[in-house]
Amino acid sequence: MTSTAPSAAPGNGSAPGEGTDPRRPAAPAPRRRRRVRDLRNEDGSRMSRGSVAVRYVLLALVFLLCVGPFLWQLSTSLKSPGENVYSDPPKLLPEHPTLDNYQKVGEIIPVWDYALNSLKVALANVVSNVVGASMAGYALARLKFRGRKYAALVFLVAMLVPAESIMIAQLTTMRALDLHNTLTAVVLPGCVAALNVLLLRNAFRNIPEEIEEAAIVDGAGVWQRYFRIGLPAVKGTLAVVAIFAFMGAWDDFLWPLIVLTDDSNYTLTIGLNFLHGTFSNNQRLIAAGTMIAVVPLIVLFACLQKYFFRGVGEGAVKG
Amino acid sequence: MSPAQLSPSAGRLLRPASVATIALGTALSLTALTGCSSGSGGGSSDASGEVKGKITFQTWNLRAEYKDYFNGLIADFEKKYPGTKVRWIDKPADRYAETLSADAASENLPDVVNVSPDKAYPLAKAGALMNLSKDETAAKAEKQYMPEAWKGNEMPGLDGVYGFPWYLNTGPLFYNKRLFEKAGLDGDKPPRTYEELFSYGEKLAKKKVASLGTAPAIEDFGRYGVELMNKDATEFTYNNAKGVELLKKYKKLYEQGGLDGQAMSAGPEKAGEKFEQEKIAMNAGGALDLTSFKENQPQLYKNIGLTDAPNNNGHPNMYVMSLGISQTSENKSTAVAFARFVTNKKNQESFAHKVAVFPSTKGSLDEPYWTEGGRSPEDRVRVSSAKLLKKAVNYTPVVMTEEMKTVLKKEVSKCFLGQKSPKQALDDAVAESNKLLEQV
Amino acid sequence: MNSTASASGPPAPSAGAAGPPSAPSTPSPDSPASSGSPGSRSSRAARRGGARVRTHRAHSPWLFLLPGLLITLAFNIYPFVATVWKAFTDARTLTPGSFVGLDNFQEMLADEQFWIGLRNSFLYVAAVVPCTVVLPLLLALLVHKNLPGIAFFRSAFYTPVVASVVVVGLIWVWMLDDRGLVNAVIKTLGFDTVPFLSDRWLILLSAMLVTVWKGLGYYMIIYMAALGNVPRELHEAASVDGAGPVRRFLSVTVPGVRNTMVLVGALSSVAAFRVFSEVFLMAGPDGGPAGEDTTLVMLIQRTGTGLSGRVGYASAISLVMFVITMVLLLAVFAAERRDKK
Repeated sequence: MTSTAPSAAPGNGSAPGEGTDPRRPAAPAPRRRRRVRDLRNEDGSRMSRGSVAVRYVLLALVFLLCVGPFLWQLSTSLKSPGENVYSDPPKLLPEHPTLDNYQKVGEIIPVWDYALNSLKVALANVVSNVVGASMAGYALARLKFRGRKYAALVFLVAMLVPAESIMIAQLTTMRALDLHNTLTAVVLPGCVAALNVLLLRNAFRNIPEEIEEAAIVDGAGVWQRYFRIGLPAVKGTLAVVAIFAFMGAWDDFLWPLIVLTDDSNYTLTIGLNFLHGTFSNNQRLIAAGTMIAVVPLIVLFACLQKYFFRGVGEGAVKG
Repeated sequence: MSPAQLSPSAGRLLRPASVATIALGTALSLTALTGCSSGSGGGSSDASGEVKGKITFQTWNLRAEYKDYFNGLIADFEKKYPGTKVRWIDKPADRYAETLSADAASENLPDVVNVSPDKAYPLAKAGALMNLSKDETAAKAEKQYMPEAWKGNEMPGLDGVYGFPWYLNTGPLFYNKRLFEKAGLDGDKPPRTYEELFSYGEKLAKKKVASLGTAPAIEDFGRYGVELMNKDATEFTYNNAKGVELLKKYKKLYEQGGLDGQAMSAGPEKAGEKFEQEKIAMNAGGALDLTSFKENQPQLYKNIGLTDAPNNNGHPNMYVMSLGISQTSENKSTAVAFARFVTNKKNQESFAHKVAVFPSTKGSLDEPYWTEGGRSPEDRVRVSSAKLLKKAVNYTPVVMTEEMKTVLKKEVSKCFLGQKSPKQALDDAVAESNKLLEQV
Repeated sequence: MNSTASASGPPAPSAGAAGPPSAPSTPSPDSPASSGSPGSRSSRAARRGGARVRTHRAHSPWLFLLPGLLITLAFNIYPFVATVWKAFTDARTLTPGSFVGLDNFQEMLADEQFWIGLRNSFLYVAAVVPCTVVLPLLLALLVHKNLPGIAFFRSAFYTPVVASVVVVGLIWVWMLDDRGLVNAVIKTLGFDTVPFLSDRWLILLSAMLVTVWKGLGYYMIIYMAALGNVPRELHEAASVDGAGPVRRFLSVTVPGVRNTMVLVGALSSVAAFRVFSEVFLMAGPDGGPAGEDTTLVMLIQRTGTGLSGRVGYASAISLVMFVITMVLLLAVFAAERRDKK
């Protein structure tokens, strides 16, 4: 990988330059264009060529550190059965690259069905978190009422509850509600995550009072203010919540494993776990499996990173 | 705000009357009610009814490789008993015990469930599994199986048998001929007894080759001839002279460098990996692993030798798989009929032909497939294992929980690390395990 | 695998979506109290007294809160309360158990594994937190500037966060193996193989390494947000005064993001204290040689799950851990408040 490729979007350029090419920037164009042509230090002085070079060297090093392990896994997943994956010293590149391992994973488990289940769960988690957490966050931040601090306390305590110790109690609850072994049960416990509520509460808090007061004078009801003023103002934080909701649901393992009994309902992470069982202990397949689990997320993130980073910037109020 | 204030304020939560709290109140009282209803009860009374209707059948990590076999099996059963419907569930190898306990705790155990005796015990004790001896229809199946296998599902302190015997495995020992020869050992003469194992280990260690990838587990003590528990299975006794003797030998092997560096933290899966990497010279495994070697590590496969795990008393270890029937099953007659069907002579034998395991049905091991066989290493091992299997014992005490196995592992490590003498380590392990046993 | 406590992620609920990248908006424990402090109450009263329009109907806030509160109470708080009750019983996974008073806590005091777990969890906090506070800040400075292609690097640095802990664990277990990539490099450099995965201290260290590695991108983002708010004029002024980059970093950047550093410290100490997956994968389910690498959550998982799991005892440990976490958090924020004064 060339460290200086200006428009290299991760995910093999599948998102060609979308917002990542500084020379063809998207919406907030003028500011960025200036910066790129004229690199400056924090104090406004121009950056020397040398210091730019040093920065790229450092960037390349960190890149290797962060992405290298994934590339190594990718390489393993492409090695053919004849190759010794445990060779000493390790071979960085496959001698006879092959996609057989991916195909074989598909034969052992219905990857597409499981991926679809994961997608359903992840999307539901996104929607419920965005809606539920923004509503709760809005009430906590912008509405004054008796009991508000106790409501906030509920979310705070929930955030600190060790998830692994309450799983059986959660399962009993699901069983009581007759939701056991459904994808709904997979989504429910985290569908309005306490942390997201608190995040959005803080984002809503930063809307200047005057704007809302003006709307009140104009006779806007609470729902109108929530939709017209509140939500647009925290779009960035919503994007962040959405991305994390997606990843959280996609990566989850133990809870779906416990709550799902029927394997037609399995999510991808559980499905892939079959690869790692007593009946097949094949590093190549495991590597291919991990790639199948990771790549969609990387691609998704690469596509949405523009909004994500913008959201981060917006969420930053007082450091 | 101090932590102590947390609970009172949590209590006050419910004060403001609101839609939320009312709705929540309903939801919670609902769970509270159903939460209390656990215990006995539920399910059909016995298996004497008509074989008809729906059941679920759960296996343990078998779908990946044997999907067609099971689909065929289920189709045959549904054809034989019209009006039945079997839903097959398969669970991954990881965390099987956790899914079982979650299912049992929420009274949702599948009608027919794949268990091993040590997993069946806690389930049976909690009343989640059906006592087969107490059910006329189920008990009739007894003569279908080898007596040892049927007895293998008797649970100490619980009068009766709690599972239909399914497949058996002896756990052969794989060894790496290339590494053996490197240490000047004959690749065709694997160790037969523990004495040989340790002397081979010393020779291998001199060439900087580790022999084994795991610390001794309870089966090793069993095969060495150590009395593991008292007769009533109420106390562990493996800290006797014989047990200490074995641990001393292992410790010596460890100090010589005969155990892999990760032996103290590794489980069998890790050890298998080490063997594939040719980092250890010997590994006890399932016969199934051989197929995996053939496919994954062709260069290793050529060098693999296969033998029976060494034992000092002529009784190899036997791993038993069984099918239990859920006590809460609504359709016990179909569940029992299906379990009996899966474990009948014909179906067990055809499964064992596919998977390199052994059938537990009476007379099966006298079939030519298990007495004659060809010349390939697989064939030879199959025949010799089948012969041994008649004398095999399931050493792992069913009352030994995972926690007690961990205790043993911990104390063995302490002994290896020089923190305790072998005697002290085993005394402590036994004391702690007995304390845990009392609590059960 | 376990969605459970990964030390690099936030303390998230199980199926949870979670992660406060924009988290400068602190979920601080004192906020609920302050929002209802006497000051704000009086100002509210003053407003009501005036000719103000009523901003909303009395039940509106509760309608807004309904979904969130309902879910949280039913699936987080209620199970937790049930767990707290279990801490005083001898419940097992398959039997409800009966009240045993403080027996579980007494047993804990005598349980060597509990103390080992406590020690390791604190060691984890002590080692991981300084790294996750400092390194991501440096990284954020590196990617803060809009160099050509920087978006690519930012996303790339975020990859470890995107992948699940289990995947990350599997990858690193293989990387750190005696014959893994890392040891291959070490050997080429002429050193001896390092037994990352067999020595009890190295196991813990390797797990910490993975935690920091996985947390880098995550906390980097939090810092990036904060860096945008450090006024440029401050840098310019410092530069005019002749301060070099290092001095400017210490005298302008660090004070500018100090509150974020506190926040990162708080988040990462809670997460580090509850570490599970990384150590579980590196040390094995029994916690390494002689269980010396067990952490508290691992102990909870080991004793409380499975077919004969001692739920009562595990719940008691959870309760102790919950209290310690609260104290940790309060300590961090108390320190912050004292500093401000």
